Amino acid sequence: MARQYLRKPPVKHKTRGLRRSIGNRSEIPMNREEDAKQTGSCPSQQDFNSCPICLGPLVQESYLDTCFHKFCYNCIVHWSRVVASKRTRPSSSVKCPLCKTENFSVISGFDGTCFQRHYINQDFENRFTFSKAHKYRLQCYYSEPGIVNDIFDVLRFWKSRKYLQSNVWLHGWLKRELQTLMQEEDVDVVVHHIHGVINSFLRRIEQTHLLKKPAEAKQDNFRTAVFDAAKPFLLARTDRFVNEVELFLASGLNIDAYDAVYMQRLGWNTPGGTTSTKPAEEPSQHVGVVPYLYIFDIDSDGAE
Amino acid sequence: MQASRARLFKEYKEVQREKAADPDIQLVCDDSNIFKWTALIKGPSETPYEGGVFQLAFAVPEQYPLQPPQVRFLTKIFHPNVHFKTGEICLDILKNAWSPAWTLQSVCRAIIALMAHPEPDSPLNCDSGNLLRSGDVRGYQSMARMYTRLAAMPKKRLAARIILITGQSNPV
Repeated sequence: MARQYLRKPPVKHKTRGLRRSIGNRSEIPMNREEDAKQTGSCPSQQDFNSCPICLGPLVQESYLDTCFHKFCYNCIVHWSRVVASKRTRPSSSVKCPLCKTENFSVISGFDGTCFQRHYINQDFENRFTFSKAHKYRLQCYYSEPGIVNDIFDVLRFWKSRKYLQSNVWLHGWLKRELQTLMQEEDVDVVVHHIHGVINSFLRRIEQTHLLKKPAEAKQDNFRTAVFDAAKPFLLARTDRFVNEVELFLASGLNIDAYDAVYMQRLGWNTPGGTTSTKPAEEPSQHVGVVPYLYIFDIDSDGAE
Repeated sequence: MQASRARLFKEYKEVQREKAADPDIQLVCDDSNIFKWTALIKGPSETPYEGGVFQLAFAVPEQYPLQPPQVRFLTKIFHPNVHFKTGEICLDILKNAWSPAWTLQSVCRAIIALMAHPEPDSPLNCDSGNLLRSGDVRGYQSMARMYTRLAAMPKKRLAARIILITGQSNPV
């Protein structure tokens, strides 16, 4: 029954596809690069921005995580359910309708700063969704570094040895931060690791040679330790992450209070403030951080 | 239901817009029912089907494009993967290898490709499949050509040749 050579779905260029398939059997399964080239050279803008499933304009643009072909969110989710219902064994992947690449999740709602990720064949209702707080944290990473430096004096934290008091909120704060940056719900292992590194560093500081060193040296050592611990998980965002950890520790505030201060500086009133409502707020209120402007500068995931 | 209708409407418009783009395929939607289509496809050149025009009937399910359309030949055709009586087509993309990125137009193209490259190892027409599997390409070709002339060619050309064919080869 199965006929391998006809399995590739069609390319957009109709006449070319036909000639080729009739003319030369070996050329029927066109490879992906070729596909991409053809779609790329496609003169019709509409073709490029339409969903291959409904053929209409993209609604809630979504991408598959491996091949990055785009579809309407509903279309691709429906299709992945149809595929799942046909299988005898549950599978966590779906083949791209265009190129047959195996994909494991659908990426949607990408607005320049954050996105949502839905794993195939997991209950879509029980998925991990980004809360408003996560989104706000991600926005922070797109803002200019140091916008709250004048509020929280990091150096004083080291000089006056504030680190001697343990910070009970650090664990919860780290968890949310790592969930935000790694786009994963289950980050407990990483949280445990980094939390452990920070705590043991702060505890040992009094017993080691660092005690007599100036605050700057302590700070440097701390930054290196956290950086090394977080680097494998956060890649290009590690530097900024270390900054944020230090700021949070220096603030000595709990999570809510810290967020309130941070958001006020960002120009947000509540964690509910979305980017779309932001321009509506009075622009004179503050210098205003427009996260969009920094996307391409700072978002260098994996570029290192 | 609504989704399939909207999608078929898009395909309809596309077909109207690019009528001239593919002279080998002529897709027509039923006047009263957008879920019923017929297509006229030209037999590919350098095959026994060359010169013939074959009619296909599409029945599109309501779940389209999540479910494949049902396609069958209305014109009689002698081909290993087409049922001789019902016109049913054995083609993976119309069954388990279906992808919603296919359109009616591209399905027609796949069928044309199937006509040019029969797959005798999964036959619906065993006589035809057996001829090919036993290596009798000539036998298969002459049978297929005969049925093309009998069933898929315009009547006036047929009249002149019908005596010629029946005189030459005897159907089993």
